[in-house]
Amino acid sequence: MNKKNNHRRDVSVEIKKPPLAKKTIEENQKEKKKLTITKGTSLCIAIVTVVTVMALGVYHLIVRNSDMLFMAQSEGFFTSNSSFLSECMHHPGGFISWVASFLTQFFYHPALGSSIMIALWLVSILISKWAFKVKAAWMALLAIPSICLLVSTIDTGYWLYYIKQTGYWFYGTVGYFLSVLLVFLYSFFKKKSDCILVTILMSLTYPFLGWYTLLAFLYVSMLSITRMKATDSTISKILLPLTPLALIGLVPFMCYNLYANTRFEDMWTVGIAFFENNDMTSFTPTIPFIVLYAVPLIFPFLPKKVENNKRMAWTVYIVTIAVLVLSWFWTEKSDFQNYNYHAEMRMYRAAEEQDWDKVLDEMGNIPGDASREMVLLKNIALLNKGEMGTRMFKYNNMGEPPTNGFDTLRVHMVQTAAPLIYYYHGKTNFAVRWGIENSVEFGYSYDRLKILARCALVHGEMEMAKRYLDILRTSIYYRDWAERLLPIVEKPELIKKYPEFDSVRELRDHMGTVLDGDNGLCEMYLLTYFSQTMNKDSKLLQELTLNYALIQKDIQLFWPRFFLYAQLHQGEPMPTHYQEAAILYGNLEPESADIQGMPFSDEVKKSYQGFQQMSQSLLQSGLNSDQVAEATKSTYGNTFYWFYFFCRDVHSY
Amino acid sequence: MKLKNILSIAVMATLLVACKHLDVPSDAQMESRLPKIYPDYTEVMVPANICPMNFAVQEGESETIARLTSPGGTYIYGDNQKVLIDETEWTDMLKSAKGKEIKVEVFAKIGDKWKAYQPFNIYVAEDSIDEYISYRAIQPSYVAYEKLSINQRNLTNFDEREIYNNMSVSSEKVGQCINCHSYKNFKTDNMLFHMRQGYGGTMIVSNGELKKVDLKTDETLSAGVYPAWHPTKNLIAFSTNKTGQSFHTKNLNKIEVQDTESDLILYDVDKNEVSIISELDDELEVFPTWSPDGKKLYFCSAHFEYYNDSIEKSAEMIQRYDEVKYNLYSADFNPDTKEFSNVQMIYNASDSLGQSVTLPRISPDGKYLLFAQAEYGCFHVWHADADIYMMNLKTQQVQKMDALNSERSESYPTWSSNGRWIMVDSRRDDGNYTRPYIAYFDKKGKAHKPFMLPQKDPYFYTFYLRSFNRPEFMIEPVNITPQEFAEKAKEDAIPAKYADR
Repeated sequence: MNKKNNHRRDVSVEIKKPPLAKKTIEENQKEKKKLTITKGTSLCIAIVTVVTVMALGVYHLIVRNSDMLFMAQSEGFFTSNSSFLSECMHHPGGFISWVASFLTQFFYHPALGSSIMIALWLVSILISKWAFKVKAAWMALLAIPSICLLVSTIDTGYWLYYIKQTGYWFYGTVGYFLSVLLVFLYSFFKKKSDCILVTILMSLTYPFLGWYTLLAFLYVSMLSITRMKATDSTISKILLPLTPLALIGLVPFMCYNLYANTRFEDMWTVGIAFFENNDMTSFTPTIPFIVLYAVPLIFPFLPKKVENNKRMAWTVYIVTIAVLVLSWFWTEKSDFQNYNYHAEMRMYRAAEEQDWDKVLDEMGNIPGDASREMVLLKNIALLNKGEMGTRMFKYNNMGEPPTNGFDTLRVHMVQTAAPLIYYYHGKTNFAVRWGIENSVEFGYSYDRLKILARCALVHGEMEMAKRYLDILRTSIYYRDWAERLLPIVEKPELIKKYPEFDSVRELRDHMGTVLDGDNGLCEMYLLTYFSQTMNKDSKLLQELTLNYALIQKDIQLFWPRFFLYAQLHQGEPMPTHYQEAAILYGNLEPESADIQGMPFSDEVKKSYQGFQQMSQSLLQSGLNSDQVAEATKSTYGNTFYWFYFFCRDVHSY
Repeated sequence: MKLKNILSIAVMATLLVACKHLDVPSDAQMESRLPKIYPDYTEVMVPANICPMNFAVQEGESETIARLTSPGGTYIYGDNQKVLIDETEWTDMLKSAKGKEIKVEVFAKIGDKWKAYQPFNIYVAEDSIDEYISYRAIQPSYVAYEKLSINQRNLTNFDEREIYNNMSVSSEKVGQCINCHSYKNFKTDNMLFHMRQGYGGTMIVSNGELKKVDLKTDETLSAGVYPAWHPTKNLIAFSTNKTGQSFHTKNLNKIEVQDTESDLILYDVDKNEVSIISELDDELEVFPTWSPDGKKLYFCSAHFEYYNDSIEKSAEMIQRYDEVKYNLYSADFNPDTKEFSNVQMIYNASDSLGQSVTLPRISPDGKYLLFAQAEYGCFHVWHADADIYMMNLKTQQVQKMDALNSERSESYPTWSSNGRWIMVDSRRDDGNYTRPYIAYFDKKGKAHKPFMLPQKDPYFYTFYLRSFNRPEFMIEPVNITPQEFAEKAKEDAIPAKYADR
């Protein structure tokens, strides 16, 4: 009985428990394999995170924004001369400006600059891991600041031209790197008194790092809370977190008298990028910086025991996946991929390098309406290729003002491409003017210095040219450019051997001098000035005046310039657009000129008649003007008459 | 290798480099010309208390050595292209060479051969110079202003600090221009400067006390512009101006700054009262300056009649910009009654010479009057033809100061407090950036070759893309801090009262 009972009991044990126990062990082992964090999985997470940061960086910076990064460096400036360092150091955080300006110049080769930037992000991730004693499993969180920095680089839109922070493009990257480096140094000290002393010593970095010293204080305060032990004295518990917080208030206050050029209230924020001008403030581009500063505050509090912890494993996986997915989404959404924005930059660079074919290729590829800057650059390219009369209206001459979309920033051409546009129109005084005005507003840049140097050479202001060229010679990437032009300074007559100056010199030399102003509207000024100019000594200038009279759609201005063109180009075929204008104006206002005897080409006559018939019939069929424009565009959109009737409401800016 | 050893080697290497012995090359080939040096300090007369005259040798990418010999000793310097003179040794040289000269021999290594250039002298005057100058650091801009500061520089060394920086109160939304810093009798306990637009007003330090006033009244054209402190009374003469700017399309002067209207006012600092000195129709009065005894006010005035009613005055002024020519006037002043009388033209530059006179300044002994003169206009810093002239006030004879002038713009002449030094704002360096040039003015009334304000780094000016605007001598530094100015700047300006005469 007992045996039986025992047997039964044993059986019941065998029946009830062993299968269950067996299942539990196997499942546990499986679950452990699946859901716990081991060193291996931590390493995997770290690698995936690093690869993601690198991939996003490479994709958004190098693949999609090379043109923008090149422009960013040309809008920047760095010289190893002590005066530049001294100027940077006039603000708290000036050292970051100096280093950031140094690094920005490497965007001359966007892949190189981007690689340096990405490398700094990865190093920052590593240092922040060590500084905050964060487990590798949380690597995705550690990468958030890098993602913020990436977003802050690709989301600026047209603020690119208006950012006043010296070295903006690397400022956040360098600042964050140095901030976590300070925290890392702090983390070496264990003794409480040493910690307080080190925190106070960190104050010495404020003149160099500005806001990023204050940020380090904030992180140190958080870190010190997590390092407290129950056995610590009450004083330690109070002083360790409060000392850095108190220093955030005190250090800028005490340093205020060191800085004559910083507002008292700015002492706590100098180094934070703000996007504002006298019209408006844009909050959107500041968001990545806010996230950048805030996220590391949680690093010290991240759980340390993540391995072999099922619940934590779930958290880690979810957080990692969420961060990586959101990073992809955020960078994709923030990347300012307005076609014209990028095309303008490519066209500007090509125009600057006098690669006129590339300018025209870019113009030809625009999917929608161009910006006015692009239209002007296209006209400059055609002028220099001698093809204004045959190709000017073959491109889209509609122009829309550039917009960011995410804010109401108003872009003014005088603050972007006007100096170069004025230069190529031979209006070198105005190029100098806006080159200097923009330097006052936004600081000297390689691009502005190059234009100022060119203008000085064209003017024969050789000492002035030498100064600008000497400054450019101290740069890494513009040294050769400057040295190529320096011989002109010694022998001004050599300028004739540099074809790049020919058209500018010819236009300028044949221009009269008057006292006027552009009222901040580059395109309107150029159109008015050149359309009203008459010149018979320079074919180039004469043709420009004729074309600008065409753009002005002014019949009275057109005829004298047209006849002068014919006189200066006897024996040469009359370019198509001039024929188109003549046949149109002759029909519109027969009394303005007699076109009966003019030898229009059959093509032009046929085209004009076709256009008239088609548009008239479409109008009679009840279509409105816009519909007629659209309907005739594919056939006649490349003619002057289509431009005359349908290219309207162009907003110069 | 242990850290200690590495450190020891590093220290020794540093010492070896530091102790590098300089000597002039014995096998140098003699060149029969002066070396090209920047700034040009060859054969200049310098004050007995000036800072070291550091310079760079511009003989190609050369290595340079300079031997400076004074009665007190010989010193050798050379740092690649730069000659950077030790401040203590320079002071010793100046002491021993006072009234004499320091001989400078320059050697440059071209390729692997040394060349010796014709030596030159730096003459050391018996006279000292005021310890400080102040100037406005401004980019030669047209309309934009942003990073402006008024700086003070110690001439006996290289110390420089900002008196006031525009950015201390500026924001993106509120900006202003600062200008026209001015001192009473070269001292800083009575001084002023203006702020225009945001936080607008005139910052006046009166007997050490800072206040901000609004000098614009309903009866006057504008707030005070070009100032002149009365030497004995707490009075300031100002011009009031309606100023505009326009731009040359081709002329390399590039910009015209014109007054469509201008008058003169007197501001009583103690009473905070403004009164009119002169507001004649068809006269553009500007640039007041007092005689040292305070009994005469000198100023410039252009006779200009608008005759085209169909356009605005500013538009007509733009069309006829080169017809505006200023002459020099004086008026007697009774400091007790504050009455002006006996206004007379003392130099007719417009009719007789077709020229225009601006920026008069009288020597502290009252004997000479310096001014700028060019073909037309009132803003001669932008006029390449502007030169410095001097009137002997006793004989009223005018002479062009050839020693001070160049082919480019010279303007804004000022005297040191002892009258032995003249400072002018010159664009001779490159035509665009104004630099202060200082010249000795001897007892016979002759100006000597000027020298550019020395800097610690001789290439300072190459990289310094700002102008030195309105350089003024001071015998003492401004002691009010930039922050104190900034705090005051944020306050509302006290409106000045208008007092009818």
